[in-house]
Amino acid sequence: MAIQAFQLTKSFGNYLIFEDLSFEIPKGECFALFGSNGAGKTTLLRVLATLVRPTSGRFSILDHDGLTEKEPVRQAIMFLAHGSHLYDDLNAQENLRFAMAMRGQHPSSKELKLCLDQVNLGAFAEMKTRNFSAGMKRRLALAKVILAQPQVLLLDEPYNALDEGGVEVTNHIIRDMTKRAGIVVMTTHDREKATQVAHRTGLLHQGILTFSSTDNSTAHAIF
Amino acid sequence: MPFFRVIQWVVWKDLISELRSRETLSSMLFFALIVILVFSFSFAMDQDAAQQLIAGIIWVSFVFTGIIGLGKSFSAELQNDAIEYLQMSPAPKGAIYLGKMIGNLLFMLVVEIMLFPLFVLFFNLDIVEEIGLLLLIFFLATLGLSAVGTLFSALTVQIRAREVMLPVLLLPLAVPVMIAAVEATRGALEGQPLVIYSQWIELLTIFDIIFTVVSFWLFDLILDS
Amino acid sequence: MMNRFIRRIQRFKGWIGAAAALCIFYGLYLGLLDSPPDYYQGEVVRIMYVHVPLAHTALLAYGTLFVGSLWYLWKRDVLVDNMCHAAAGITAAFTILALITGAIWAKPTWNTWWTWDPKLVSFAVLLLIASGYLMLRTFVEDPDKEGRYAAVMAIVGGIDLPIIYFSAEWWRTLHQPLSISMRGVSMSGDILLPLAIMSLGLNLLFIYMLMIRTQMLYLTNLLEAKKGRLLSHAHLSHTSS
Repeated sequence: MAIQAFQLTKSFGNYLIFEDLSFEIPKGECFALFGSNGAGKTTLLRVLATLVRPTSGRFSILDHDGLTEKEPVRQAIMFLAHGSHLYDDLNAQENLRFAMAMRGQHPSSKELKLCLDQVNLGAFAEMKTRNFSAGMKRRLALAKVILAQPQVLLLDEPYNALDEGGVEVTNHIIRDMTKRAGIVVMTTHDREKATQVAHRTGLLHQGILTFSSTDNSTAHAIF
Repeated sequence: MPFFRVIQWVVWKDLISELRSRETLSSMLFFALIVILVFSFSFAMDQDAAQQLIAGIIWVSFVFTGIIGLGKSFSAELQNDAIEYLQMSPAPKGAIYLGKMIGNLLFMLVVEIMLFPLFVLFFNLDIVEEIGLLLLIFFLATLGLSAVGTLFSALTVQIRAREVMLPVLLLPLAVPVMIAAVEATRGALEGQPLVIYSQWIELLTIFDIIFTVVSFWLFDLILDS
Repeated sequence: MMNRFIRRIQRFKGWIGAAAALCIFYGLYLGLLDSPPDYYQGEVVRIMYVHVPLAHTALLAYGTLFVGSLWYLWKRDVLVDNMCHAAAGITAAFTILALITGAIWAKPTWNTWWTWDPKLVSFAVLLLIASGYLMLRTFVEDPDKEGRYAAVMAIVGGIDLPIIYFSAEWWRTLHQPLSISMRGVSMSGDILLPLAIMSLGLNLLFIYMLMIRTQMLYLTNLLEAKKGRLLSHAHLSHTSS
């Protein structure tokens, strides 16, 4: 099992977000998490991304404990959050260089150019990201994923602000990851786009997580 | 992950951003110019009094200018939630602290070196012999300020009323730096023999060492859980 | 669910409060009525029996905050965090009282309300640190961060205080060479006994206040958590309907 959560509970001060969530996500699976606003989807992702400490319970990612072995967990994961994590005064290429350097990776200029082309930002490599649109920032975040090749990808509302081409790139990256036995966990409201790639979906409702499989899951089982 | 490469990259990132926008340096410089002007108007009638108080005037302007720079340092990390990326990256948090601290130190020193000639001009100072020592004092005191200041910049940027809370928390802690910097600068400007004020330089060094180590150790708790 | 320390506090606090009251009244009697006036200072010296124990207790309170903060960062025990919060408020209160009684004592003896004495400077900065700590706690939005950030502030402040004291001491010797000093007061048994009893009384009072305040903060959190639990379940079922 690649991601294991055991009785995860998170409350913000006095507000209980979710309670006693236990689940497992195997390698090679894309898992889509649905739920109404405020159901705690993003908080769950932030717990898995080691950004927020759960109030109680434990989880492990690729057999590394998420609370005590943060460094290997952080090396394995990549989290594309609501914010783009970009520095407005750096250009696209410099942003990528810095983001990779913080993961201990140092891509060559050629690699950078190649992956910017892959997300259709080749023409904007030297442009300050201050002038980027929300969709372009999303694409640049996808470029980070292509460069970093993480084993676990956490996506918070990945389809927001993306045009059709962007959605295609996103889904391509997701398929590519699951083929390599990587894991993708995403939260979204867009069932239609998510079910194109997800093997399993979950609904977070009143702090309870219920699972159901999708059409892709059979293909997944055969694979 | 190589510790020193992370420091280098953080410094590189802050320097490149600053070269592009010039936001931090220009706001620090203009603020400091206004402070100097206000002080020189206040003491325009009385050059002697100004001469007596000059070390204090210099450090009041440097510290308040420094606080502007320190406040900006982490608000840049807050745009687009970049601070989140730093938190969840596997890079050692101590290296990120040192990178930010070196960046702040450089910005503050650059501003101080640009401002000092103005003090010499406006207040008619005589510094030719002691310039090396003065620069050493500036460096040591600014290092102390940025060591504690970087920690508290990272802390206050994540809470409410951050513009107020940075000076409220930082200034009381910076009392020893202020006292030592003012006394050492006064000694150097008045041309006293070094033995008389060398203890202040020692105090600054001790403060720098203690608070770089302590902040380095505590930074993990500010940026991470 | 209620912590066993909280139960134990409930049982002991009355005794400690009574012992504190006893010591303070006996100490006040000894200091204000029974002990002889000072040869140089006359009756004025009697404020010392209040001022010096207040100052010591303020330091004890900050020491508790400092050690408690280290302990909290190590064990992450909410009760310890509540104790730190309580200790900070008491530090601020005792420091203000020590500064005020000090000023009242300084006026007749040193002929000034305020002077840049290293002890005065340190206590003034201590007051700023303790109130900064309390302000910080109210301004942290994320409750996960509150205890951590507060502990960082308390630790940095605790390490800084001795440095502040020494720098102020050097500074003073430079600018006003020991013309005023309280070392003229000889420490005879007549003085020592009331001082010791007052110190003991105020230390016990500190412990008593610490217990009550910690208990209050802990129980308030517990109550809010229960309320929040009810509310969030109500909220969740509301959004579903």
